[in-house]
This record gives sequence, C-alpha cells and structure tokens, in this order.
Amino acid sequence: MKYLAWAMLLITLVACNEEDGGYIDIEDNERLTVAIPSNFPPMVYQIEENPPTRYGFELGKKLFYDGKLSANGFISCGFCHEQRFSFTHHGHQFSHGIDDKEGTRNTPSIANMAFFSEFAWDGATSHLDLFPIIPITNEVEMGETMTGVLEKLRADSDYQKAFKAAFEDGGVNHENFLKAIAQFMVMMVSYNSKYDKYVRNEDGVALTEEELHGLHIFQQKCASCHTTDLFSDGSFRNNGLPPNPGINDIGRAEVSGSVNDNHKFKVPSLRNVTLTAPYMHDGRFGSLESVLNFYQNGVQDSPTLDPLLKTEEGFGISMNDAEKMALIAFLGTLTDEEFINDERFAEY
Amino acid sequence: MKPLYKLSIFLFLFVIVTSCSDDDSSGDDLTGTGMVKIEFDNSVAGDDLILGSSYTNSQNETLTIDRLNYIVSNFRLTDADGNVYTYPKDQGYFITSEETGNTEVVLVDVPAGRYTSLTFGIGVDQEKYLLGAEGQGDLLTEAESTNMMWSWQAGYKFLNFEGTFTSATVTDATDFKIHMGSHGSSLDNYKETTLSLGTEALVSDDMTPIVHLVANAGNILDGNNKILLTEQAVIMVSEEKSPKIATNTSNMFTVDHVHNGDGSSH
Repeated sequence: MKYLAWAMLLITLVACNEEDGGYIDIEDNERLTVAIPSNFPPMVYQIEENPPTRYGFELGKKLFYDGKLSANGFISCGFCHEQRFSFTHHGHQFSHGIDDKEGTRNTPSIANMAFFSEFAWDGATSHLDLFPIIPITNEVEMGETMTGVLEKLRADSDYQKAFKAAFEDGGVNHENFLKAIAQFMVMMVSYNSKYDKYVRNEDGVALTEEELHGLHIFQQKCASCHTTDLFSDGSFRNNGLPPNPGINDIGRAEVSGSVNDNHKFKVPSLRNVTLTAPYMHDGRFGSLESVLNFYQNGVQDSPTLDPLLKTEEGFGISMNDAEKMALIAFLGTLTDEEFINDERFAEY
Repeated sequence: MKPLYKLSIFLFLFVIVTSCSDDDSSGDDLTGTGMVKIEFDNSVAGDDLILGSSYTNSQNETLTIDRLNYIVSNFRLTDADGNVYTYPKDQGYFITSEETGNTEVVLVDVPAGRYTSLTFGIGVDQEKYLLGAEGQGDLLTEAESTNMMWSWQAGYKFLNFEGTFTSATVTDATDFKIHMGSHGSSLDNYKETTLSLGTEALVSDDMTPIVHLVANAGNILDGNNKILLTEQAVIMVSEEKSPKIATNTSNMFTVDHVHNGDGSSH
C-alpha cells in the first residue's frame, strides 16, 4: 500500500442541502477524483475553480466528440484527437479540418494537460479552459465561432438537459461550455505505463536490460528538456529542425512577437510516444528512428538554436546505433495501455 | 456657455460646502450609493471621430478609420482624502465600440462620495485571464461579437483599430489593422491610466455624475511613440511596436468635464 502513495482528491460535493428549492436535483452529480500520480510534479490546473463532476465530465465528453462544434457539423475534437493514439491524429502529418483544409501543425497529445501551464505548440494560451477557442475558431480546423456553437447547443434539448445536470446555474453559455470540456480533459491522466509501474515499484514490474540502458541514456542525453515524469519541462525551444520553406512556421514567435522566439516550439511530452507518429510540430518524421537520426545528424544552427544542442563536437546529440535502439526500447515503456483503452474517455 | 456652466457648478459646490461647514466636513451630505457614468467620446486630435472620415496626422499619414473598439476595466475612484473605491472585478470589464455606439460605461452601487480622480485599465490583466472559464463569464461572448476575441491567442484584443491609410509613398488606400493585446504569457500589454477629474464628481443616492472623457484616437499611432503605417500596416503581435501602441493608447484619454446632477443628461 505504501507504494500506492497517490495523492487522491476525494472530496464529495454535497450540494444544495436545506435551501434546495427543488429546481434541479444535482445531488447525484458527484465530484470525480482526479488521479494525481505520486511520480508526477504537482498539478497546475486550479481544480477548485472547476472541479470535475460526473455530469460535467459527461457533458465535456459529449462536446468533445460532437461535430456540432465545427462549421460543417462533422469535425469534432475527437476527429483529430483519437484515443487509441493517445489523442493524436495518427498517420496525418498535418491535421485536416473542415472542407479538407490542412493546417500546418501536427496534432499534439492531450494527455496530462492538467499538469502543464502553456498549451498548443506555441503556447497560444496559458489556461487550459480557454484552449478550445483556438481549434474551434481556426478556419482550417473547425471553422466556427464560439457564439455559433452555443446557438446550436441552445437549440438542442439534450444539451439543455446536460448543462442543467452539470452546472448549478445550468446555463448554456461560454463559461459552462469551456468548463465542461476542461473537466473532460483534466481527467485524462496517463500514468500507468510500464515505466510508471517500474518507478513506483508496482506489481513487481521491471524493465528489461535494454530498456534500463535506454533509460540511462535518456537521463544523460534527453532529460534536460524532457524533464520529470511528464517528460517535458513545458518550455519553448528551437531544436534545430530546418524550417519547412513552404510554411516557415515561426512557432512561439507567432505568439510573443519576439525574434528571440523564432522557430521555438513547446517541448512535447513523450508519454505514449510510440503511438503518436508522425513526430515534430509539423509531423515531418514518420518514425522514432528518424527523430533520433535527426538529433544525431540533422540539427541545424540558427540564432535561436537551443544552447543545449550546441556542444564542442558540433550541433545535436551524439549517439551510436546501439544507444538509439536502447532509447527506442525505453520510449516503448511509456505506452499506457490502460489510458488508451480507458472507457471513460472512449467515443463509443 | 461652458465657463458659465462651470461657474454655476462652482457656486453650487460652494453652497454645498459652506452649508456643511459646521458639521464634520467629511461629506456627510452625500449618503447611500449611486451610479457613475463614464462617457468615452472618441475623437482625433480635437475633431470628432467619424468612422469613414479621414484624418491626417503629424507623420503625414492620412487615416480613414473604420473601427475603434477597446476594452476598459478595473475602474477605481479616489476622493480628495485618498480613499479609493475599487469597482468589483467580476463586473469590471467593458467593451466600448465606436461602430455600435456603445461608448458609455455605467458603474453602479458606487458609495457616496466626492471623487477627484479616476483610474482604469485598457485591456484585460493576466490575473483575470488566468481565472479561466469561471473568470471570463460573459466577456468572451461579448468579445467575440465585437471582434475583440483574439482566437489564435485564445484571448482578448485590448484594442481593435482598423481602416485604410495613404502616405507620401503609399498612394493607394491601403488597409491598416492594429490589434493590440497581451502576447500569451510572454508580454503583458495591459496598462492603466489615472486621470484627475478637475472637479469633484459627486455620488449619492440621488447624484449620478457623468464623467465625459475624450479619447484621442490619433494618439494610438501618433502619440509619444511614433508608429508609421507606411513601415508596417498590420501590427498584431510585435514585441517592439505593440507595447508602444499600448502606452500610446493608455495615454489617449483626457477628462473633458464632469457633470454633477441626477445623471439624466449632459
């Protein structure tokens, strides 16, 4: 039991005691427990501002999988964020939205978002609640307006009921809409990979010799950016990818307006990374081998190249083939079958 | 006309002040709570702002303004003794828009008093933004309907100033777009301004002052910081220019006059 020292929030919401006028019976809208794994850094999301509840979560899930959130009625959040690929868009370099329009960035995973403070590849928002505005209003993603979405939801009696069940004030409005989707995302914690069980000493799980060797190399060569058991420090860095000349995505500089941020992108988490090909912000690499080959041989110098990738020997990370094999074996231990098969998050 | 009017206010104040002089002079005559109306009268360097009309600035650029929307927030009123009344933050954000004619902010339930200065912010502070969905309330809805939602920053435009311009080298009317807001977590462009009211604004159960502010939109590009549209006509996220525009915008307000009375006309 001492190994299972997960801090669990177990607070039951007891709403509407005596003064319950009998408008809405939300007594059974119990508060849900968010898993806070013992090997994770503290949660960033202010859970008391928007505590996930049974009906709030269900509403968030319904919204997440509903094409109504897009202009043409077909593109839901789940269209690009597929659970079995750790909520990424497998096989798509760029995610395509309404009318088959293509974006310029690869769909990132949305596991463990409650533990991060900046969202999207460029940190276009620093609050998870407000993130859905970006894809919903992006003309090559869902192409809608927030107001347009709400009009559709208000006209739908199922949604009227779902909002009433989920929130005390019951309003079909921006605030409750964003809260519900955030509740769904906050619950998505991926923390039961082979690696997790190994570091938490659970169920007698052990890594193979090669996986352990990979972990050792990872800690030496990768863990200065892919820090903690979230495998990201959440910072924005230029990892030396030659810019795609057809796109010239300047990354974080789009948000900050600073040339010092040119071509910097958020360090992605590596959880479930074996499942989330293609890789990099623009999905240019189809395999982890290609990613490691790039770090070994392909890193390009530029004024904003991350200093950690500049060494006396040159740019990038020196690795031999055996080390790369071991790293890939280790990265495989970050796959969390329980998460990708968790029925709470499943569309069907 | 105006001097007479000011004189009459002065006399009125004089009467009030002298009539209270035997009492504790802390303003007991004003009791309860009242409203404060703040009119944002948009102008360009002394001329009325009329959308679609053109204005030539000191940099010899001629602007035809089609849109001037900005967010004002976090109002605070200070009296002569330095007491500060802070308007409730959860009701403290207002979008003014020349095109919709929505240019008046009404503060309600303001404690009675004699207020001598007004402080407010232009835009949305990080504290408010980081309250998430709970803290935004209806402001997002309103922002989207007034072109003030900055969807790719998932935030707010603090200022949306658009139109066309010509200059010595740009002879065909060319679109300009000035969208100013905070740059994610990396650059906070929220700024506050404090204005002396010149006269006391009297608030009580039956006194609703109207503070008539003039906002000189010419200042946005042609203030202390000089921004040339000829050099860059679309400025949305510029580490160098956006903070300058934010400063110019926060300095564009002056108090023209304050009407004391029941607030029904000015």
